[in-house]
Amino acid sequence: MSWFARLKSRFSELLNRPRAERELDEEIAYHLGRETDRLIGAGADPAEAKRIAQKAFGRASTVREQAREEWRLRWVEDTLRDLKYAARGLRRSPTFTVAAVLTLGLAIGATTAIYSIVDAVLLDDLPYPEPDRLVRMFEQNAPTNRWSLSVVDFQAVKEQQRSFEHVAALQAARVTLTGRGRPERFVAGRVTADWFRVLGVHPLEGRGFATDEDQPGSSPVVVISAGLRDRMFGEGARGIDEVLTLDGVPHTVVGVLGRDRASLAGLRADVWPILQLEPPTRRGPFFLRGFGRLSGGVSVAGAEADLADITRRIYPIWAEGFRDEKALITPYSLRETILGGVGTGVWLLFGAVLGVLLIATANVANLLMVRASGREHEMALRTSLGGTKRRLVRLLLTESLLLAAIGGAVGVALAFLCLETFVGTSPNLPRLDEISLDGGVLAFAAAVTLGSGVLFGLAPLLQTAPSLMQNLRGGDRADASGSRGRRLRSALVAAEFAIALPLLAGAALLVSSFVRLQNVDPGYDPTNLVSADVSLPPAEYEGYSEVVAFWDEALRRVREIPGVRAAGIGTGLPPNLQGETNNFDLVDKPVPEGSSEPSVPWSWASPGFWGALGVPLQRGRMFEERDGRDSLPVVMVSEAWASRYYPDGDVLGKQLYSGGDRDNPMTVVGVLANVKFEGLDTAGDVAVHEPFAQAGFRSVSLLVRSEGPVAGIVGRLRAVFQELDPALPLSNVETMDARLSAEVAGPRYWTTLFSLFAGLGLVLAAIGVYGVLSYTVSRQSREIAIRIALGAHPAAVRRSVVLGGMARVGIGIAIGLTLALLGTQWLESLLFDVSATDPLALAVAVAGLVLIAGIACYVPAHRATKIDPMRALRAD
Amino acid sequence: MSLIRSDLLRGTLDLLILKTLTLEPMHGWGIAQRIRHLSKDVFELNQGSLYPALRRLQRKGWVLSDWRITDNNRRARYYTLTKAGWKQLEAEEAHWGQSSAAVDRVLRLALEGV
Repeated sequence: MSWFARLKSRFSELLNRPRAERELDEEIAYHLGRETDRLIGAGADPAEAKRIAQKAFGRASTVREQAREEWRLRWVEDTLRDLKYAARGLRRSPTFTVAAVLTLGLAIGATTAIYSIVDAVLLDDLPYPEPDRLVRMFEQNAPTNRWSLSVVDFQAVKEQQRSFEHVAALQAARVTLTGRGRPERFVAGRVTADWFRVLGVHPLEGRGFATDEDQPGSSPVVVISAGLRDRMFGEGARGIDEVLTLDGVPHTVVGVLGRDRASLAGLRADVWPILQLEPPTRRGPFFLRGFGRLSGGVSVAGAEADLADITRRIYPIWAEGFRDEKALITPYSLRETILGGVGTGVWLLFGAVLGVLLIATANVANLLMVRASGREHEMALRTSLGGTKRRLVRLLLTESLLLAAIGGAVGVALAFLCLETFVGTSPNLPRLDEISLDGGVLAFAAAVTLGSGVLFGLAPLLQTAPSLMQNLRGGDRADASGSRGRRLRSALVAAEFAIALPLLAGAALLVSSFVRLQNVDPGYDPTNLVSADVSLPPAEYEGYSEVVAFWDEALRRVREIPGVRAAGIGTGLPPNLQGETNNFDLVDKPVPEGSSEPSVPWSWASPGFWGALGVPLQRGRMFEERDGRDSLPVVMVSEAWASRYYPDGDVLGKQLYSGGDRDNPMTVVGVLANVKFEGLDTAGDVAVHEPFAQAGFRSVSLLVRSEGPVAGIVGRLRAVFQELDPALPLSNVETMDARLSAEVAGPRYWTTLFSLFAGLGLVLAAIGVYGVLSYTVSRQSREIAIRIALGAHPAAVRRSVVLGGMARVGIGIAIGLTLALLGTQWLESLLFDVSATDPLALAVAVAGLVLIAGIACYVPAHRATKIDPMRALRAD
Repeated sequence: MSLIRSDLLRGTLDLLILKTLTLEPMHGWGIAQRIRHLSKDVFELNQGSLYPALRRLQRKGWVLSDWRITDNNRRARYYTLTKAGWKQLEAEEAHWGQSSAAVDRVLRLALEGV
């Protein structure tokens, strides 16, 4: 080894060895040196002296080992002693402890619960192998306008694509299961043969679909959920090769999915029947969800070019009935499409709870500083009794961490309790079944606990440590905490309000948006109105005439039920079931060659439907029984449609071509008042309505208005259909009130949770300023007493205390306002009809904050005026 | 006179160190010298064992240590008795007195009994 290498290794050894060991070595070297010198002085020869000294000392390595053992013991003993001491200290001041633990518990609990949602919904990969390679395909003609694929689209993609390992199509539907007791309706995902290969999911029992099973004419097969298998065939049964009759068609069960596969690619379904696509006759309709697994090395952008080429190739073939040249098949990452806009809401909630956590930490830091000031004498005494500064720091930190640990434990327990509520009340949050308090979430909770513990544990140290020494000498309390502590406390209070304001502003915006949403006029009166879905199976109701005949009879019988005022059927149901979208061209104002035809929500309804819904006719006439396949095709349009396409009001009698059909122009016979079909928060009241009898769809919604509460007629309603066809179930029987309320469930959820957290933040911040002011008043009681004794008016005393508190609050609000203006834009996508910088909402937030802070300041200020000068001056 | 080797009972070594430090703060080598002198060379201390003992006493809060410059201008760690150390020493001394008297008595009575 060269001298340089030796030096280097020696150097790194020096650097890396703990200081205590280096010091021990220095001590040993000193000892040996002195002993050798002594022996030489006594006449020994130097080499001999060194040997004797070393012999008397014994083996240095043994000494080191023993010393290390002592240090280790010392660490354990000290920690135990600190813990015991900390626990005793916390027990001695129960009010402080309970306040701090509750504050921390609430904040850590909320943070943990929301994090578990963030973790499962946003951070975890989708539960499929190589999930980044999964895409969903849409037709899209503008960045904000995309829709499903047609049979033409899917088949072209399947034959021509060069970017995917596998592609598959899914049609979500409801199917009726018959032949096993009462007929039942299930959510079904009809899928093409490669579906399970796209996702990389294998059924737990049996198999997936063979490649040719989706060809028309192959015998129908189905894969079912484990839950359905248990229910149908009993637990323990395999279920394979059993036959299930779905919509009248017998399907052989070939596979059973594992229990963790209750939903696939965002669709929660019990049955996955094979989807056999008949050769198409036109480009539309667009009802298939397209999925694909990218080949290795192909990016979403690469697939985009491939799919665009395919779309351009098929366009001319079907151009007669579909003239939207700008519409291209476009891939999106599956993850993105499943999460949709939920990410924003969840991240916002997470931001809100982190804010609450910071406020809580600042609060506990404040509490600890106040407490530490009261213990300065005790600390100084400990120092003089031989406690080193480091030991004192450790002691204080142990106390803080113990406090944090208790708070964290309470928090995790709270999170456990809250999570069920958070998840249970959430509307259509994707990936719900993946949310749990797992190891990762608990680790997060532990990290948050430790982090906040260290943060608020540092505060009292910053305040106390420098003054430890001089403190014992002078007994002067007034300056004991030092101006450093005072400044820190003020800063913490300001910070709390700076965080609370954006939270409150966000809550004010969400609440105001929610109120507006609730006050939107849906276009109809939802009371005493009930709806149900009915789907006529093709096996028994073969064609148009059977379907129309069934409904003529059914509606006649429904109207005969006592208490029924009106009844009808329709393909769309407000407020959010648009049903279909259709393109059209006005006969008198055709779109220019090469540009897209406009496309709007489209519905088919029986004559009684609009009467039952209570939508007034504005002009022209309603549908009548004579409107059908054999009469001239007619439509009604919404007022919004009329004013968009015929602003001069002259709309009755105008004609349009629907869905590219140039042979049968339809005539506008009536104008209906606007109804929200696409959700309350959309402008979606531009719509075209056709008479049901012009099409005769199998799946419709039945709508019945009763004289009194609908509960009275639902039983009779079911009985009518039972008589007509015992195999026909009524599904989704729901009042329109419930549908309206479900429509605002999403906004209500985000608004409620966000407001809850904002409220928590506000209360904590108020407690913070209250605590600091109370403390200040009690510390300055002598000064205040003197002022009162000298004749100061109580109002003046009160004012000076309140102003002292509000000055800190004011700084916080000023900073908070800046943060709010920067931050609320993240809310934009969740807001309805309110700007993210709405001055009113900000003003309400500031006013609310000032009011609460004012009250929190007034209470200790009022107490200050009650100080008895004689007693305050004598004390101490 | 026989030389007692250093396998002193642990408690005894602690007691000797504490007692030595009552005079003044001392470094390790100084303590070893002092014990040897005071015991008239009877206790030939295993000098190395002094240092773990000093760590132990520190751990219990009976002595404090700090680095000082010695008379001959070198850096050495000095040990000081704390208040708790004084108390401990008093208790140990009392205890030692009692037990050594007891041992004495047993020895004497045993001789007389022969």
